[in-house]
Order: sequence, then C-alpha cells, then structure tokens
Amino acid sequence: MGEFDKICKKIKKLSPNIEISEEKGCIVLRGQVDDWKTAVKAGQLAVNKKKYLGVINDIKLKGFVPSPESMLPEDSSLDGQRPDVLVIGGGITGCAAARELSRYKLDVLVCEKGADVASGASKANGGVVHVGINFSASSQKHHYNLIGNQMYEELSRKLDVPFERKGQVMLCCKKWERIPVWFLAHFGEKKGIHGTRYMKREELLEHEPNVPEFIDGGMFMPIGGITSPYEMTIALAENAASNGVRFSFETKVQSMEVRTEADGTAHIISVKTNRGTLYPKLVINAAGVHADEIADMAGDRTFTIHPRRGTDIITDKKAGYMVKTSMAKAPFAVAPYEKEKLKGKAFTTLRLLINAFNGSNHTKGVGVIHSIHGNMLIGPNAVETPDREDTATYRDEVDAIIRMQQHLAPGLEFRDVIAYFTGVRAPTYEEDFVVRKGIFTDNILEAAGIQSPGVTAAPAIAVELAKWAAEYLEKTEHVEANENFNEERKAPPRLREMSQEERDRLIKENSDYGVIVCRCEEISKGEIIDVLNSPLHVPTVDGIKRRLRPGMGRCQGGFCMPLVMNIIAEHEGIPLSDVKKAGSGSVITYGFTKGGPEDAVAAAAGDAGKEAADE
Amino acid sequence: MDKNIKEMICIVCPNGCRMTVSSEGPDEIAVAGNRCVRGKSFAIKEMTNPVRSLSTTVRTDSEKFPVLPVRLSAEIPKDRIFDMMGEINKIRVTGPVRPGAVLAKNLLGLGADLIATAGIATKVRK
Amino acid sequence: MNKDMNFDVTVIGGGPAGLAAALEAHKEGGRVLLIEREDRLGGILKQCIHDGFGLVRYEEKLTGPEYAQRFIDEFEAADIESMLTTFVTDIKKNDVDFTIRAVCSSGVKTINTGVIIFATGCRERTARQVFIHGTRPAGIFTAGTAQHLINIQGQLPTRRCVILGSGDIGLIMARRLTLEGAEVEGVYEIQPEPSGLARNVQQCLIDYDIPLHLSHTVTRVFGRDRVEAVEICRVDENRNPMPETARKVECDGLILSVGLIPENELAESVGVTVNKATGCPTCGENQMTDVPGVFACGNALRVFDLVDYVSASGEAAGRSAMEYLKEVRANG
Repeated sequence: MGEFDKICKKIKKLSPNIEISEEKGCIVLRGQVDDWKTAVKAGQLAVNKKKYLGVINDIKLKGFVPSPESMLPEDSSLDGQRPDVLVIGGGITGCAAARELSRYKLDVLVCEKGADVASGASKANGGVVHVGINFSASSQKHHYNLIGNQMYEELSRKLDVPFERKGQVMLCCKKWERIPVWFLAHFGEKKGIHGTRYMKREELLEHEPNVPEFIDGGMFMPIGGITSPYEMTIALAENAASNGVRFSFETKVQSMEVRTEADGTAHIISVKTNRGTLYPKLVINAAGVHADEIADMAGDRTFTIHPRRGTDIITDKKAGYMVKTSMAKAPFAVAPYEKEKLKGKAFTTLRLLINAFNGSNHTKGVGVIHSIHGNMLIGPNAVETPDREDTATYRDEVDAIIRMQQHLAPGLEFRDVIAYFTGVRAPTYEEDFVVRKGIFTDNILEAAGIQSPGVTAAPAIAVELAKWAAEYLEKTEHVEANENFNEERKAPPRLREMSQEERDRLIKENSDYGVIVCRCEEISKGEIIDVLNSPLHVPTVDGIKRRLRPGMGRCQGGFCMPLVMNIIAEHEGIPLSDVKKAGSGSVITYGFTKGGPEDAVAAAAGDAGKEAADE
Repeated sequence: MDKNIKEMICIVCPNGCRMTVSSEGPDEIAVAGNRCVRGKSFAIKEMTNPVRSLSTTVRTDSEKFPVLPVRLSAEIPKDRIFDMMGEINKIRVTGPVRPGAVLAKNLLGLGADLIATAGIATKVRK
Repeated sequence: MNKDMNFDVTVIGGGPAGLAAALEAHKEGGRVLLIEREDRLGGILKQCIHDGFGLVRYEEKLTGPEYAQRFIDEFEAADIESMLTTFVTDIKKNDVDFTIRAVCSSGVKTINTGVIIFATGCRERTARQVFIHGTRPAGIFTAGTAQHLINIQGQLPTRRCVILGSGDIGLIMARRLTLEGAEVEGVYEIQPEPSGLARNVQQCLIDYDIPLHLSHTVTRVFGRDRVEAVEICRVDENRNPMPETARKVECDGLILSVGLIPENELAESVGVTVNKATGCPTCGENQMTDVPGVFACGNALRVFDLVDYVSASGEAAGRSAMEYLKEVRANG
C-alpha cells in the first residue's frame, strides 16, 4: 500500500466524511465534521514529512462561528504605496525581520491588524528563552532555537531588554528518571545544547530552594533563560522604526492580486488592506495564527495553522519567590499525586518517555516560571480550537492549571493570582516552523507555524529572512546597506531600578519623574511621557501598560488607569474619551456626563459662577 | 380608605432599620421596627411626601477639575430628582469656587439651593 | 518645610485616617509629617460626593468632600507639615527610629522619624481576583475607578451596565450612574445577603427600581473591543456557579464592587506581618503592629463601614504612637 493510501485508510476510519487528495505536493483534507477533535486528529494523521510538503486541512466544523474580530478603521492611508518589503504581522517574528531588514536601504512597511505590535501570541506567552532539548535535530525548531538562544545576550543588551540566563529545570521524582535525563543530555550535547545534566536534590535546591519534597532532582539546562516577550517585540519594533521601518497598525490584509507567469510561478501584484491597496516588491508572511490564510492568498500555501489556545496565570510578586528559574515536571516523571492515574498503565508511562525523545512532546507540561519582573507565571495549558481569535479564558481551565501547579509550588494559593490571559499558538500539523522562500510564489517569504519556541527563535529566523529578502531584491536592483543603521535601542529610563542619587538627579532635570502615577509598579508621569515620545507611537492605555507596566500590578489599573488616560489625553491633545484601551473600538468612556461635546460651552451658569467667585 | 401596608428600610442613619408602615389615611400612620423617633418621621414622610437629598456634580471651566461636587441645601420630592438633575446639568461654573459656596438659588422653585461641596482654587482655563 | 527632615511621627496617607492620626499626634505634642501620594488631601473621600458621612461624629449628613474638608481645615490651621504628590519608595528600620525614602517632584527625599503610622487605605478586588472569565475588553471597571471617572473626570464610563457585588461603593455607583443617565441593568451579589448597608439598598437601588439579584454572579465577559455582554449565573450554597442557570445580559460595562483589600505592601516591607487572607496587619490593642514603632489605622488596619470609625481609628493610632514614643524616650 502506498503512503497516500495508508493516510486515506487511517483518516477514513476516523471519519468517512473527510475527502482526501494529493494536490501540489500536499495532502489536502476537505469536508465537515461535528467535532473539532476529529478535524485536528485527521490533520495529524495526514502528516508525512518525507513524502509531502505539508498538510492542507480545510475540514470545517459544523456550526462554527468564529469570535468577532476587532473593529478596524477604513481609510486610504496606504493606498498606492510601493514598499520594497511588506511584512505582514507585527509579532516578534515580523518585528525582528523588520529590524534585520532595516540594515539595508529599503522601504519596509509592517502591517499589523492589532493596535500595537505584539498583539497576538507574542504578548501572551511566558517569555522563556528555550533550551529546545526535545526538538528533533532535523527540525527547523531546533535549528533556529539554538541560534536564537545564543543571540539573546547580545540582542537584549543592544535593545535594552531584560534577559536572564538562569537556566531551565525539568523536575524528576524517582531515581530511575536520571537515566532518561542522561540520554537527553547526551543527545542534547550532540545537537549542540551544552551543559545539561542531572542535579541531585541538594544541588538543585541551590537553584530552586522551594521544590516540593517528592522531587528527587532535576535536569538542569543552563542555557535556558527568560525575557519579556512583548518588551522584546516592542524593542525590536522601536529599533526598526528608528532605522526607518514604517508601521501601520489596525491594518489587515484582506486579499491579494496574484499573477501566474508562463512557467507557472505565481507573483503577488498587489495586497489589499482596509487602508488601501499596496504594491510591494516582496511580502514576508509573519501573520501568526493567520499565516495559512495569507499563504493561501498568495498561492503559496503548503501548511495549515491549527490554533491552540494556551492560558497563563500571573501571581502577585509576593508569590514570586516560589520559583527562581523556569521549571516543569519532566514529561516522563511520575509524581506521587499522579500514581493513581497511571496505575497499571505502563504503556502510558512508556509513551511519555518516548515522546520526550522523539520531539513529538509538543504540548509540553504546564510549568512555573519566574517572570523577568519577579511575578510567578504559571502555564500554559494547550487546547485545540477552531477559533483563531479565541483569547478568552475559561474557569475550569484556569482552576485546573492552578491546582496542577500547586503540586510543584505548594505555597501557591488562589488569592495569589492577579491576572491570567490566553494566547493562541500557531502550530502547523507538522509541528514545526515553516521558514522558507516561496515555493509556488516568487515574491513571498514564509515565516509560519511560529509557536513555541518562537520568542527564542525569532531573532535567528529574522536574520535568515532578511538575507533571503536582500537576495531576492538584488535580482532586480542593487540593495545598499543602510549606513545610518543603529543597532542599539535605549529603553526609556526606569526610575524604580535606579540608585537614589541617579533618580534624584533625573527628577531634578524633569520633575515629572517625581510624580508617581502607578503605585503598584512605581511608575512616574515622566516615564509615561517618555514612552509617548518613543519612535513607535502607541498612545493607548494598553500600549503604555505593555511598555511600562502600570496596570500590571496588584491593583490591575484600578487606581492608575484614569491617571494614565489623562496623561495620554494631555500629551496627544485629545479629549479624554478619545483615549482608547487598544484599538479604535475599545472605547473607555463615552464623553462628558453632562451631555454635549466635551469642550462645548454649556448654556446658563454664568451668574451662579460669578456669585460663587464673589463670595 | 383601604389599609396600606408598606415595608421599607430607613435611610436616616447607617442602622438601616427595617420598618413596617401601615396607614389608613394621612393622619393614621403606624410605624413598627424603627429604633428611634427619626425613623418614625421618615416613615410618615415616606408615606405622604417622600423626599430625598441629592448630591451630584456640575461642569466647570477648569481643565484640572472638569466637574465640581455639589449638593442641594434641602431635600426635594423624590419624583423631582431627574428634573433637578436636568436643571443642574445645565449649569456651568467658572472658578474659583470655595467649598460651601451657593452656586444657584431655589432651583425649580423647590426651595433648595445648589451648594459646592468642594472648592476650585484657581481658574485654569479661559 | 522642616529642613532637617527629622520627625517624631510620620503619617503615610492623607485620607480621613491619616488626617485624623496626624492631628491627634500633633495635639499630643509630636512633631508630625504627613505624606500624601496625590496632590490634594482627602483620599478617597474626594470622589465620594454622596452624602451620609459624619452622622456618628458630627450628627450631620455630610458629603465625602465636606467631611474631608473639616479635617483639612483643622489640619491646615494646626500648621502640620505635609508633603503632597510624594510617594514613599522604601522604609528602613534603624535601632531606634526609621528612615523613609520618598519621591516627589523636587527629587528623592530622606526622612527620619521616630514612629510611622500607616494610613494607606485599601484597594479594590479586581475582575481577575474574583475569577471572571472570557475576554478582556474595555468597559470593565472597579466601582472606585468608575466613581473616579464620573465624579472627578466628569466622564461617563458606561451607558448600560451590570454591577457585580453589592458593596456600598457598588450601590452608590448604581444610583450615581442612573442619575447621570446610564442604565443599570441590575446588581448581582454572590452572597444570599446584600453586603452593603441596608439604607444604601433602599436609597440607591429600590428608589431607582434597580433590581438586586442575590446568590448570582458574573461568570463571563463577552466582547472583543468593548464589553458587549456578560454571562450571569445563579450560584449554589457553596457559591459555585450553576452552569444550567447561565444567561447572557447585553451591556457595555461591568462594574465590580467585590471587596476591598487593605493596602499594606509598604508595611510588609518594614516587616509587619500581614494576614494573607484579609490583608490586615497584625496589630495590638493600641494599633501598633508587630514591628515596634509602626502603627496602622483606617482601612489599612481593617476595612470599615463608616468613615466616622476610620477617623476614630486614626485618632487612636495618633495617640498610641505618641504614648509609645514618650515611653521609649523616657526609658531610653
């Protein structure tokens, strides 16, 4: 039986309603199912990396209605523009690529559907700079993760983004688990991941003094680190912007005009957005959960994004002491509280063990992370969803994540939780990145399937994309280096981290630095104004929150939100009710309480006022 | 006249007594559940002519304090509250104002003046 | 301003508790400094424009700003030193006294003080802390934030809202929003009893025909940009939502009045033991915490129903602080 027939047989067994075909080197699935699990399972069964370019899974879920998307403005601000490179997506991959491209004298435009960079998965993840011990040596994930990991120190320094290489720990419960750890470390070493080893409990306690009693030790991976994913994305974008890259927010690609050449190659002529039609020479697809839709518009689709929700939980900084690095239980480790569950299921245990080695353990155990800002971050879980925009959180899931992590962080209580959020990952069915030049279309570069470890890999992917872009453009014109390129970006001063003397000096220069607006995170008016003056202009409450953290503390913006709104309104010269949370539709207030426009002069009152003044 | 029985919570003080009020006419009102005499007079008033105090804000010309807190100097009939809000919302105060200043007199002819409950120190905006 | 920055008593927080504490310590002969984060004294009373304050203390029905003003007038007449728009960043405990570091618009200040009184008030519990799920659009406010927007900024935060929690601020906001022309669809309370004062139920809800739904909670928020609806569930006797009772209520705002937590992070940083469940500091009869020389009062000590009691607790702390100081100095 041929490979195709094997796939057909497996999928037909799953559901007879699914049509399977081979098209342009891909396995294509169509049909309708009653249950999303079936659609995902079919996609997974269709994977055959050796024989096919990828899985195109167009199976629809019966009755599915996607979450509504944000309201977007309609204008012609981009109409007729001819950028050299159009980057679709302002997540960490798109922003890193834009920054790399700004090393050349090119007109680069980043279109982002959200109201800020890092509006999707780049903001909603734990910020782990991954070790990648479980990726198969031949995967793109392994390749870019390893290079990216090694780039982080220098990149963070140049971009003034917090980064700590404190290591990553996989916790083990039983002595025998040292054996698989030894093998993983050994294979890791061969793949170029150095320094991984088993640490017995006593030594582990020096790194993680609060691990529970039942932990025998753990696999310590010193190359693991932690960053702030949205701050990194913002820094990359700001640096790109100051090197000449343009950003257009709330801009969604709606369709593309594609011409097919005589030799069958497709070529993107124009890209239609809600802000007009653009004529880019080259397109970079960094559209995250929508990357397959973009590839499809361009006629270059060989993959399917199957959205996978992940919810993370943030605790108060007071609970941050419970974890120092980022740790998770090894996938093969069986903790005492799980024994009951696995009793008599030797096969399950074995499968967990195998998965740890063959790189298919993509869901990863939920873990606990010491965030770069000192909170404890718990999660994420992994839930397949047909809904690309489903960033909602669900009670049962959040409860389950907390209860599960109480095993690893026994001091954790529900009241320690200050926030939780959901990001939607963008995996392909092959569970690998798709970083490549266009196969069917000549002027597109794909950067798709970027899920974990995307934050780690993005800088490395960006270097590759920029190199390919320059090579492509070089075919028709000379691509010059941007001699004004400045690879460094300075974060606005963070006064709470300064010495008293330095802080005093800065306040004497600018008294706004002495006016504290956010009490939980100790942020001043001056720092907010600095951010409003930064090269990437995002004058929204969320924009400020992501850059400086007011509203991320324990009061979650209860006290500071109106104050932040005031500073934005004053700085931008707009009425308070024009200050938005994020996008155009995220109205915070509906204008003046007394009716009428905010700056209209009301009727009567003159006499009463005078009387009052006279008294 | 039919006997009219009403349950109500006294709003005079934080005790919030739950009272049962029965009336067979304006002169025959019996109050039960009140812990003090003020409760009784509130209940009687509530059956005959319910009144409420009102605190709100008025617009100002100040950029820093776009609204100024105010109250009425006397209680007004409960059913005139929204009329009164409409009237107060028309007023625009030009600063400075000191706390306690009378901003408007005898609004809607109901015998209540509008009193500033806070002040505006300086005039900020023309 | 006292150039040498040496004080007997430093009060942190210029709301009703702090003002009362500073005044009392001053009357007892102390050299007092009051530090306030905002540019005006009065604390949360500035935005509590409704009346009903001071019935116990003055036997008068004052509004929040009026009640505050009485203390402010007295405070100013007494010529007590204060630092406004000043934020305490850290406190160091020395052998006999404390060193406070504070940031203000003229720089970083160092203050030495014999004792400290925390009058830092409280903060509101947030949507996430009561485990409301769904999306996170604009339009979710704590009652205090909504109150600030409407009473200080003069901005309407919602046109049609649901209020979760029947705490006093929630009830007061139901009336306030209604007066300003917004529609309050209902107030939902997870407990079988309203948590605010009975009189507020009467004068804020019943008077305006706003329904109060007991044993109900909000379980989910809908809407991508702005709140579009919330999901309401009845809860069982253990306060767990019953999914079969879920119903969707269309609204553009969700106002939360789900509890107050004493704000004691600064006190904790000096070593005061704070009860994890209530947020209250461990205090003796005299309102001194388990760190000698550190006192607490007002809502930072515990959440009070009435401001009259907040002031009383401030005065008590002011007196105790001076007694303690005199005793220590007599023995030292």
